[in-house]
Amino acid sequence: MINFIKKDRSLGVAKEKRKYDLPLNKGSGGSFLKILMGLMTILAIFALSASFSLSEMTERWSSGLENKATVEIPAEDNKGNIIEQVVVDKIALDIESFLKGHPDVETAEIMRPQEIKDLVSPWLGNEITFENVPLPGIVSIKFKDDKEINYTILESRLKSFGEHVRLDTHGTWLADLLKFTGALNFAAILISTLIGITTVVAVAGAVQARMAVYDEELELLHLMGAGDRYIANQLQRYSFITCLQGSAIGAIIGLILIFIIGWLLKQRDISLLPDFNLSFVQIIILIILPFFIGLLAMVTARQTVLRELSKMP
Amino acid sequence: MIKFEHVGLRYGVGPEVLSDINFTLEPGTFHFLSGPSGSGKTSLMSMLYLGRQPTRGLMSMFGKNVGQLNRQELKKLRQRIGVVFQDFRLLNHMSAFDNIALPLRISGQPEKEIRANVEELMEWVGLGDHRHMLPNTMSGGQQQRIAVARAVITRPKLLLADEPTGNLDDEIGLRLMNLFDQLNRMGTTVVIASHNTVLMQKFSQHDRIILDDGQAYLEKPQQTIKQRLGSMF
Ligand SMILES: Nc1ncnc2c1ncn2[C@@H]1O[C@H](COP(=O)(O)OP(=O)(O)O)[C@@H](O)[C@H]1O
Ligand SMILES: [Mg+2]
Repeated sequence: MINFIKKDRSLGVAKEKRKYDLPLNKGSGGSFLKILMGLMTILAIFALSASFSLSEMTERWSSGLENKATVEIPAEDNKGNIIEQVVVDKIALDIESFLKGHPDVETAEIMRPQEIKDLVSPWLGNEITFENVPLPGIVSIKFKDDKEINYTILESRLKSFGEHVRLDTHGTWLADLLKFTGALNFAAILISTLIGITTVVAVAGAVQARMAVYDEELELLHLMGAGDRYIANQLQRYSFITCLQGSAIGAIIGLILIFIIGWLLKQRDISLLPDFNLSFVQIIILIILPFFIGLLAMVTARQTVLRELSKMP
Repeated sequence: MIKFEHVGLRYGVGPEVLSDINFTLEPGTFHFLSGPSGSGKTSLMSMLYLGRQPTRGLMSMFGKNVGQLNRQELKKLRQRIGVVFQDFRLLNHMSAFDNIALPLRISGQPEKEIRANVEELMEWVGLGDHRHMLPNTMSGGQQQRIAVARAVITRPKLLLADEPTGNLDDEIGLRLMNLFDQLNRMGTTVVIASHNTVLMQKFSQHDRIILDDGQAYLEKPQQTIKQRLGSMF
């Protein structure tokens, strides 16, 4: 008889594999949690990738601009009188040589007329001839990296070459941009934190609800001598898998949407947002995100179960 | 093994269901727990399987005062007790096999051993062809056999069965009683709650604890008069 049983042993492998001692896969609580985690993850992916690409953009722009400035010598004076090209060029040359002798300046260069034409043609059109229109003089400056420049002193010094000379430092709009990306990064952190809190609250609630529904089964396990950890393991595994699944689906949808948006932006050539491309590391972070959410859910479930079980004698 | 001293039990603010219970069960003994319906058999069982603490008095088990045990110690004790509940308490989302295997999994046995043991026992109680079936698709008698198999699979030191033969035809009923007898001979202390007089007659060699009016009386097989246990202390 024993031999017969031994031969028959493969039958002992239940076709439907037992996953949990509690009927956790029944009911709709799991799909609610999955959908919630999916939506949360999409939100998180949006917030994070917006923050990622804006940080990168700011960095690129500010690294190119922060130690640069331009001096403009307009072709008309403050009263609107046209200044002759020769005079403009003379002032530009003077300023260039003054700047070249300045201790804080690394390079100073007069922009050639063709460069200026290239710069303004998108706005004025190529047909415009510059024959009778005097061009402004532009001197671009690159400061030495480690210098703190006092622009007020520099500008007043430059104005001695001509009342209408202006110094353009990019400083103000760059500061605005930094403020903007700073706010966006803050928003991303805030959203991520909120998502974390939502995960904790939702999982703790779901676990408590499950434990209330299956209190008879829990009591049975308890009476059979199942330890708190044994029971907690089941609910934490369930929470991890459920949230990971929901979050992974959310991540896939989120990433697809991000790439579609990136592609659309490229198609429309919106040059204001240079590239909506994420780096490899950033994509990895977004892919790992569901695991973080799953782990967070797992830890929450464990704590909740242990707290609830400690009420049992 | 088990000692009750002036044990009383009440549910909430209700009257005492059991009052002043006194008895001692030596290791390796076999007792029927009898009494009319509502006399408190199930209630007494629930204290024995550590599902409920007495509301007064002292209860000790395996030489330990149960009221002073911590959670870890209670867990260890519970793993040494096998219970057949009156309402079975099977888990309907898992197969008959998994139900019976549950206590072994809880105590962390290797899966290979579990499979061999459970299969052999299922064969023995006549459920060999029902491994994958869900309990709620099976007959009352079959469910009861699952419940019994689940209670004995760990070879517990104490086996408690609450009306275990109520739903069984005679042949299987006898078979399960023989199973309890065998376990008992191997050293397990057995307490079976029953008001089935025919069954108790058949196994009249075993002692009886009789519950009446919240008190417990011991009846030895050879004795004809009830002996009030309370007077022994
Ligand atoms: N959970 C409970 N809550 C309140 N009263 C209960 C509970 N269980 C049993 N009782 C009461 O305790 C008494 C004994 O019941 P029980 O222990 O089930 O007796 P038996 O198993 O001998 O039929 C009954 O009067 C019953 O109503
Ligand atoms: Mg009963």
